[in-house]
Amino acid sequence: MSLTREQVEKVARLAELHVPPEELPALAGQIARIVDYVGQLGEVGGDEQAPPFLAGPAAVALREDVVRPSPLVRGPAAFAPEFRDGFFLVPRLGHLEDL
Amino acid sequence: MTWETVIGLEVHVQPTTRSKMFCGCANSFGDPPNTNVCPVCLGLPGALPVPNAEAVRLGVVGALALGCTVHPTSIFARKNYFYPDLPKGYQVSQYDRPLATGGAVRCESPERGPIEVSITRLHLEEDAGKSLHDRYPRRTAVDLNRCGTPLCEIVSGPDLRSPAEARAYLVALRQLLVYAGVSDCSMEKGTLRVDANLSVRRPGQSGLGTKTEVKNLNSFAFVEKALEAEYHRQVGLLESGGRVEQVTLLFNAGTGELRVARVKEESHDYRYFPDPDLPPLVLAPAWVEAERAGLPELPTARRARYADRFGLPGYDVGVLTAEPETGAYFEAVVAAGADPKAAANWVMGEALGSLRETGGFPVPAPRLAELIGLVTGGAVSHQAGRKVYAELAAHPDHPPGVVAERLGLLQVGDESALAGWVEAVLAAHPGEVARFRAGEAKLLGFFTGQVMKASQGKADPKKVQPLLRSRLGP
Amino acid sequence: MSRALEAARATARRLEAAAPLNAVLHWSAAELEAEARRADAQAPAGALYGVPIAVKDNIVTTEAPTTCASRILEGFVSPFEATATRRLRAAGALIAAKTNLDEFAMGSSTEHSAFGRVHHPLDPALVPGGSSGGSAALVAAGVVPAALGSETGGSVRQPAAFCGVVGVKPGYGRVSRAGLVAFGSSLDCISAFGRTVADAAAVLAAMSGHDPDDATTIPEPPLAPPVARADLRGLVIGLPREYLPGDLDAGVRAGVDRAVEAMRGLGATIREVSLPHARYAVPTYYVIAPAEAASNLARYDGARYGVRRLGPAGDLASLYRTTRGEGFGLEVRRRILVGTYVLSAGYYDAYYRKAQQVRALIADDFRRVFAAGTDLLFTPTTPTTAFRAGANTADPVAMYLADVFVCAASLAGIPAMSLPIGRAEGLPVGGQLIAPERGESLMLAAAGALEAALDGTAEVR
Ligand SMILES: [Mg+2]
Ligand SMILES: [Zn+2]
Repeated sequence: MSLTREQVEKVARLAELHVPPEELPALAGQIARIVDYVGQLGEVGGDEQAPPFLAGPAAVALREDVVRPSPLVRGPAAFAPEFRDGFFLVPRLGHLEDL
Repeated sequence: MTWETVIGLEVHVQPTTRSKMFCGCANSFGDPPNTNVCPVCLGLPGALPVPNAEAVRLGVVGALALGCTVHPTSIFARKNYFYPDLPKGYQVSQYDRPLATGGAVRCESPERGPIEVSITRLHLEEDAGKSLHDRYPRRTAVDLNRCGTPLCEIVSGPDLRSPAEARAYLVALRQLLVYAGVSDCSMEKGTLRVDANLSVRRPGQSGLGTKTEVKNLNSFAFVEKALEAEYHRQVGLLESGGRVEQVTLLFNAGTGELRVARVKEESHDYRYFPDPDLPPLVLAPAWVEAERAGLPELPTARRARYADRFGLPGYDVGVLTAEPETGAYFEAVVAAGADPKAAANWVMGEALGSLRETGGFPVPAPRLAELIGLVTGGAVSHQAGRKVYAELAAHPDHPPGVVAERLGLLQVGDESALAGWVEAVLAAHPGEVARFRAGEAKLLGFFTGQVMKASQGKADPKKVQPLLRSRLGP
Repeated sequence: MSRALEAARATARRLEAAAPLNAVLHWSAAELEAEARRADAQAPAGALYGVPIAVKDNIVTTEAPTTCASRILEGFVSPFEATATRRLRAAGALIAAKTNLDEFAMGSSTEHSAFGRVHHPLDPALVPGGSSGGSAALVAAGVVPAALGSETGGSVRQPAAFCGVVGVKPGYGRVSRAGLVAFGSSLDCISAFGRTVADAAAVLAAMSGHDPDDATTIPEPPLAPPVARADLRGLVIGLPREYLPGDLDAGVRAGVDRAVEAMRGLGATIREVSLPHARYAVPTYYVIAPAEAASNLARYDGARYGVRRLGPAGDLASLYRTTRGEGFGLEVRRRILVGTYVLSAGYYDAYYRKAQQVRALIADDFRRVFAAGTDLLFTPTTPTTAFRAGANTADPVAMYLADVFVCAASLAGIPAMSLPIGRAEGLPVGGQLIAPERGESLMLAAAGALEAALDGTAEVR
């Protein structure tokens, strides 16, 4: 298996995704299976520094600097899980610090 | 044992645009929370970014002012991390292909004299929102108004060798960007913010020590103080046999203390990749050259011109060029006919005083030039001229001569009027007259002062003294 | 009663009858009637006046909820409207229903919906394909003449083939993504289902054209409806040999052979061609799409909208991890983890950068074939006909291979479509046409001629 359980746990932390411990072995097996499968791309030679393929326009079209806010049919109070005095509220940061 | 300090700065400057970086919301400051927001800045499902042409242009102008190479193609990339004020879970920034690289800023090091600080890169990005941690118990309150505000991030090389040098660099950088018209660079408004990296090493050592980063410093004084504190913290660690950990720190301006922000180790893995919502930013070289040609005069050129053309001393040049508006006002006063050195004195004195109090130059430049003419021509004393200035500040449409006359401040050179005041003063001070005649020559100043007082400042002092001498003379 | 109101009421009756398919996540008779009244109030009437259109539930509309078939967005009603649906309404169409899908469009069978799987209209034990299975099933069942789906790697063509309807993916950037909930942003295309080529083309034309709200749209006016052609004279149709492997399902093979004969009969020149990197399309797709998805789905964190779940620690990390861990289904979690892994420090070059390089090679294969005088490519849409529910759920890679013939055109950003070319043992077989960049009109015209020449519901053997 190309991917250890620890690696899957680390990736899950990066992705802020809780994985119940009992699900971890099966999930790690599936992730490893997928990663092994896509790993076959390694057999393709050629210039890896070549410019990446781009679908759509070759250059971004810029927007004129005009104040034109897109209206919201309903404001944040209508869809926020917790909203008070105009603020979105979330649980206070645990050991994370304000950056 | 001595230590060498190595400092590099990351400066975030907010270009002055009407709308945000990727949406049509106003680029404004101080709205009620979460009112200046749209699907794009809220990170709603299905919302897409569209870049602001003026933010790009100002980024280019800033890069050119810093002597950077502006790249014909740059790429917007996503910097992925989770934080409550980052609604999409990523910040749109530029990573391996930034807008511009390789510039330099010249400044005056207090220790080393003139130095050149390299600019590693300038890139465009969007700002995040604001998290308030102490407003509600056990809750963080999030205001997303600032989300999507355009930013130019300017990264210097590790070229600074002291906290004071860091400050000098910041002053020079700020001046360049303000002159170029990129941003007002106001730390109070948060349109300029600084992250500072510092490491120490033994002199002569070529490699760099482990660096730490002090985040979100919001005044030049705090940058200097925080870096001083961090220098001492690192040296303290090393000299007691410890080692420096690569951490992020926060500076408490109130206590002057640094606090280590405990950051999860993974949060440094930002998983940058090209933003698939944004095709490459392609700039025509001819357009970039036109922007270069259109750059306004920058501080170095202006300083040289003030010294050469106006013959002003270095101190005056420094004060007059600190802010572009001051120089523009000074030049308008000179253009209206004032003597350059006199104009410099008046602008540095009265006009900058007004600027500090009112935020502007209330007296139109031609009026100030007229007033300077009255003073240098002797029609109004310097003292009286200041009173006229104050009156002009309140009534900028009144001609200075008329104001001086109305306030009775025109100097009186008429012999008979002067003689009257002189006679009265001498009559009132017989003791002093006797002492002067006995050889106490310095009393001439006393008599002159008394005459000025009696005339309420209107007497022309240049004419009073000969008159006094002839009346007191043998 | 206006024609629109009549259509609205008839559609409501059909939607009610189609409930057992579980193809719909939201609809209401009142909303349908309101749509009809709005269409009646518009002047002029518009090209799609009174046409009921079902919309995949990953396209935001302000009246109905948009859930992406995910627990994490349960009950979410968007405060803004997608450009595509706005344009359809402006053309007089009635937005009839929000259709079921694989959660966040991740899947090939519509079994990965948090709200239950969609049943195939011909046999409830079969899957309709996916991820736009709800839209495909509704059109196949005759509930609506047309529907919107979205493609990231074949999610319209593959279910169109399974269900026996027309599915058209335009070139990347032809239809605005504004309001399409992002999955793989460099691949995502709002696409159209129709009972006929003309219906799908009309819907596509009404949605298409540059949108200032989407920087990846191409600066082109809306597509004109294709000019019908009676034959395929003068056209060179390429058959890529990599898409006709020896072990291809016999029914599918027979369908393709019959369609190729029909095209020859219509005067087309048939030529074998080669797309040497075709076999890397699926692995390339399964690096790029999850990488983009991992980033695009970071916004579902329980902070601003959608469902919030809090773990026992009660802190911010527990909000994020529990909301996301419980809110996303298994397939979405797998893809987020894979996508996070391939972008993470130390693995980016081996996976993401490599996949970008191979993507360029895949696109180049197509460019070379088209530049060498091939006008269109023809392939089977899927390696098999519709499979049984549960057949591919144990092994994610087996499920991914259901998209082996449709991924490449998505990676290359070129137009492609599926149309019914017959039935094998009663189940629809789809044929795929692939066009060069900006070749939508030619592709649709050729498909129209083939459709007219071929009974798409006839047994192929
Ligand atoms: Mg930055
Ligand atoms: Zn906005």
